[in-house]
Amino acid sequence: MDLIRQIELENMKPEVPDFGIGDSVEVEYLIREGEKERVQVFQGTVISIGGSGIRRTALVRRIVAGEGVERLFPLHSPRVKDIKVKARGKARRAKLYYLRDRVGKAVRLRANFGKSRGPRSQPKMAASSEDKA
Amino acid sequence: MTIGILGKKLGMTQLFQPDGTWVPVTVLQAGPCKVLQVKAEQTSELPEEERVAKRNFGKKRGSTDRPRRSDGYYAVQLGFEDQRENSANKPESGHAKLSGSKPKAFVRELRYTSMPELKRGDEIGVAVLKDIKRVDITGTSKGHGFTGTIKRYGFARQATSHGNSKSHRRLGGIGRQYSTAKGVPKGKKMPGHQGVDRVTVQNLEVVKVDEERNLLYVRGAVPGHRQAFLVVKQSIKNL
Repeated sequence: MDLIRQIELENMKPEVPDFGIGDSVEVEYLIREGEKERVQVFQGTVISIGGSGIRRTALVRRIVAGEGVERLFPLHSPRVKDIKVKARGKARRAKLYYLRDRVGKAVRLRANFGKSRGPRSQPKMAASSEDKA
Repeated sequence: MTIGILGKKLGMTQLFQPDGTWVPVTVLQAGPCKVLQVKAEQTSELPEEERVAKRNFGKKRGSTDRPRRSDGYYAVQLGFEDQRENSANKPESGHAKLSGSKPKAFVRELRYTSMPELKRGDEIGVAVLKDIKRVDITGTSKGHGFTGTIKRYGFARQATSHGNSKSHRRLGGIGRQYSTAKGVPKGKKMPGHQGVDRVTVQNLEVVKVDEERNLLYVRGAVPGHRQAFLVVKQSIKNL
């Protein structure tokens, strides 16, 4: 396997929570407040997943006081503690940028019941040694 | 003392720091390198067996030894990566044989100010850099071919419209006729070949040293394409 890819794998989190486009998620993010660290929760809809390998990111959008707020979370950052899926959403495209033009009830996505995407599998380190051979 | 090693560029990626900031890193294969020769100002400073130059004239005439001429400077000659089978010529393979190694694809000298502690045949790895904070990296930049002045020197582009005809990426005026200083100035920047130059990037931060696999991680970019050979030295700044 490409050594650069393998180095990325070594520095990546072994597993990233399984979520997809349109899901409603809670991102637990470590922030510094002076000397202390505390977890901040950002809840919103995943409207974009980008990047590959260690650069994989999720763009989460929510409405705060009538104003749209988007945050981009690097999934493998040590500051991203956990991502919890609150509800599965049904999306028919990869990027939900059209939600930016919608207000109020139109923002809602259809729930996705019983859908299982299966674990978002990471390439395993063990497999890498086979590739090398 | 000079601290350095030969290597090659593997590629770039990003790593996280504990505070969540991203660090752009270049990963280098640095070593293992074989010491092919040690050069000394005076021949007398070399070990006994190094003070003669062996000459081999083949089976018929045999071999003769003569005293080796002094090198006149201190240096360690390093070799990195074996050459392709059959691509080495006889002088190369004969030279490598003296240090018990295969002919090397990339051979460079590191200059010393006094007698180096290394001996012919020693092998060094990236571990030599483990206490080094910053390095200078020398390599050959990527070739860009024959380029115009915009890419080569950052000249401004001309208007795409407003009556401009066929002069969008040209370099503009290059001199004047009616003046005491008429003509084209010497050294005027013009289109030409860019890249494939010897380039040194100074003061690159060492992010990580992986002694097991001889990998060196430095912050930022280094000259050349992937798999390009590089010389890594302790930075001459902040010494």
